[in-house]
Amino acid sequence: MKRYYPVVRAFGLLLICFALTLLAPLLLSWWLDDGAHSAYDETFLLTLAVGLLLWWPARHAKTELKVRDGFLLVVLVWTLLPLFACLPLLLHLKISFTDAYFEAVSGLTASGGTVLSGLDAMPLSINFWRTFMHWIGGMGVVVLAVAILPLLGIGGRQMLRAEVPGPMKETSLTPRIAETAKGLWGVYLLLTTACVLALWFFGMEPWDALMHAFSVMGLGGFSTKDASLGHFNSLPIELTVMFFALLSGLNYATHFLALHGRSLKPYRNDPEAPYFLGLLAASILALSCYLLVVGTFEHFGQALRYVAFHSISLATSLGLSTTDYGQWPFFAQLWMLFLGSFIACSGSTGGGIKMIRAMILYKQVYRELIRAMHPSVVWPVRIGSSPVPQNILFAVLAFGFVYMTSIVSMTLLMSLSGLEIVTGFSAVVASINNTGPGLGGVGPSTTYAALDDFQTWICAFAMLLGRLEIFTLLVVLTPAFWRR
Amino acid sequence: MRSFYPVVRVFGVLLIGFSLTLLVPLGFSWYWHDGAELAYDEAFALTLLVGLVLYWSARHHDDDLKVRDGFLIVVLVWTLLPLFAGMPLMFQLGISFTDAYFEAMSGLTTTGATVLSNLDALPPSINLWRGMMVWLGGMGLIVLAVAILPLLGIGGRQMFKAETPGPMKDSQLTPRMTQTAKGLWAVYAVVTALCILALHWAGMNWFDAVMHAFTTMGLGGFSSHDASFGYWNSPAIEAVVVVFMLLAGMNFATMFLALSGRSVQPYLSDPEVRWFLGVTLASVLGIAFYLWLQGTYVDFLTALRHAAFNVVSIATTTGFASVDYNQWPFFAPLWMLFLCSFVTSAGSTGGGIKMIRAIILYKQVYRELMRAMHPNIVWPVRVGDNAVPHNILFAVLAFGFMYMTSIVTMTLLLSASGLEIVTAFSAVVASINNTGPGLNQVGPATTFQVLSDFQTWVCTFAMLLGRLEIFTLLVVLTPAFWRR
Repeated sequence: MKRYYPVVRAFGLLLICFALTLLAPLLLSWWLDDGAHSAYDETFLLTLAVGLLLWWPARHAKTELKVRDGFLLVVLVWTLLPLFACLPLLLHLKISFTDAYFEAVSGLTASGGTVLSGLDAMPLSINFWRTFMHWIGGMGVVVLAVAILPLLGIGGRQMLRAEVPGPMKETSLTPRIAETAKGLWGVYLLLTTACVLALWFFGMEPWDALMHAFSVMGLGGFSTKDASLGHFNSLPIELTVMFFALLSGLNYATHFLALHGRSLKPYRNDPEAPYFLGLLAASILALSCYLLVVGTFEHFGQALRYVAFHSISLATSLGLSTTDYGQWPFFAQLWMLFLGSFIACSGSTGGGIKMIRAMILYKQVYRELIRAMHPSVVWPVRIGSSPVPQNILFAVLAFGFVYMTSIVSMTLLMSLSGLEIVTGFSAVVASINNTGPGLGGVGPSTTYAALDDFQTWICAFAMLLGRLEIFTLLVVLTPAFWRR
Repeated sequence: MRSFYPVVRVFGVLLIGFSLTLLVPLGFSWYWHDGAELAYDEAFALTLLVGLVLYWSARHHDDDLKVRDGFLIVVLVWTLLPLFAGMPLMFQLGISFTDAYFEAMSGLTTTGATVLSNLDALPPSINLWRGMMVWLGGMGLIVLAVAILPLLGIGGRQMFKAETPGPMKDSQLTPRMTQTAKGLWAVYAVVTALCILALHWAGMNWFDAVMHAFTTMGLGGFSSHDASFGYWNSPAIEAVVVVFMLLAGMNFATMFLALSGRSVQPYLSDPEVRWFLGVTLASVLGIAFYLWLQGTYVDFLTALRHAAFNVVSIATTTGFASVDYNQWPFFAPLWMLFLCSFVTSAGSTGGGIKMIRAIILYKQVYRELMRAMHPNIVWPVRVGDNAVPHNILFAVLAFGFMYMTSIVTMTLLLSASGLEIVTAFSAVVASINNTGPGLNQVGPATTFQVLSDFQTWVCTFAMLLGRLEIFTLLVVLTPAFWRR
């Protein structure tokens, strides 16, 4: 047990901090007197107590974390925090533990699939807590993606190490992560503030503006309205959300560099940004034409408005909606789901395999074509101007394979449990990409409440798997990890 | 043009050889007066003529083929032979060119998807020709898989170069292939003869025995009856077919070694055999149990009988059906479709990515897990006793990725053309794996006739892509191939 003390200590500290965030909805609830405050104070005390209990016995284990501890800590944080985060929902809404845990995982992984309906009638503090989970989750994701996963070397993430702001010598884990986190969180906070102000300015109530800004910046997708953003039916609000969703789908390290150096150059050097924006723009145009041709919309402007919003929302793995796109021709829905699986940039709060991996996969396939013709050709795979080392190529290829295998396996499981195939498949894809709404029975006009307990657990697992980039979780699940 | 002469010459010779096989249904038709004579003599004359013209124009260019010519020949053979092979169907049955080409492609790639119905009423010689196409396709395929693709280095196929019978020095292309082909074809012919005898013994008439032995050994799946094997409803026949499907699903090179050495040792040391048999048999038992549990069949033995036949048939990419398994709970056919994408062995007449690649992919993923824990670990991927070299690993990984990408792309295409999604997805999977029947509208009780022309062409392309192991076809489609 002693060897896990450094992990336990770090986790205890995190839990104590997390307990403090619960004070926000607690105070809000008291202030508004919305009747939910007893849910938070119990949760707060319990979380704080567990945090202290974990930290106390291990408080002297200040030894440096090893790579293996890093894996364990990341997995613990993302599996156990939802246990505590779901307590307010469990206590106040009297939903089942499965549903509450699902909702909390969905919140903290910034997915946005929900099992709740009747959102408009809920206490404001509950909705605040739901979207606040997104925002905190987004903070965690940014640091995870930019600082932690590259160190753990997950799925070729090492690639991005060089672009991380902060001191970049191969120093010990903690100070480097702390340094990186500070810079990125500054950017995150700044953009969130801008988003709140913009949404408020364009007509949202202040609280709605705040909560939707949380949801947008984390690329989560929880809303305070059952009709999601369709409740507001306002073009300026949609444009604002689209703009900030796009910003959040770009690499936060790039934002940091751009703000830091007060220049747009970092965006131009970002190898992912042109493909991210280009593919989205092309998809939006093509889908608008498609929906116009098949007669879903009568005017191009109208088609463009809805297609642009939903393409961006689903592709960046946000998941807010303004209309029931489940009524659109199936291809349009399928295409948007497909975009969500790869288009977001690494280091963003989006999900899927990330654009950089998609590019590497594509280039590797092209290299194999060339090699089939000229068996001894030397043809390095390049991203930007630097060639990708072999071990990273292997990691990316294996990642791509496991990603698809995970989707197939979990879809088979869903089908085995008796779920209709389109619902089963789209629920898995929407969960592993951390998008939120799927198609069919879990489409934009319905919720995940339709799933039974077993299926809900699969989706919760898929969200974790996607958020932890599969290998982080799989590594901890191998027997070899625990041997020693 | 000059550089293509050797290719043209070889293709001409092949075409002349192919035209001779048309004499078989022609003679059969004359002898039995089934009214289809006219269809074959025109096709025969035309094929022979084109073959002679091509050969004549390039008769002096008997220089050796280069690797690049190999790609071209393989692609030409598999795209142009169906043109000629489809002619008898077009002349006699009056079906469209699209349908005839699809049917011929389905035969020569040993897929077994059909656009024809009322098979029982067709002239027997037409059914014989359909069976023959599968059998000839199987012959071509064995040589392709065991001798040609390894030389071209497609998707890690180099791996098997060493296991090929025949002289194995890196000598010139042609003599080595001839040598290999002779040995394998002898084995193929012997096993086919055995299959004919066994089927007749089990109760088929001679014609059906020959036709079904052809389609069984090629793992094609054409039948001369609309009800496929439901027509006989005989456990003995089903048992015989199951055994021969399993034989044809294993490497013919292994069978050659076993027969020529009169020992089962080659089967024991074949790295794929145990996985192929293990996964297939476990699936048979699992599905039988599942069907029994779900109440599809009242007693376990009936469930076992139908599961055994249909699971083996789909998993080995044959495509016979003894019952309409589309009526089973959805998970069962989905699992069968999943199996056919990887269980057959390399060097068999089956489709999919092949078991050896699945094994390598799995081991590569495990290696990446190990490397994530211990970044500097040396952990070679082994198949049997040999470490797999890096370039082969890359090729296999890229192959696995392209395979999945192709499925996704073509499913999106079919969905864009308006096809219902389950039908679209299963049609693509069944085509690219060269299995035959899919689910729903293209399920075992129906045919591919419901597809529009565009959709039929997509499926035709998928069959070709799967059969040529994707890269062979893609290489020829890259501009770089034609540059010089």
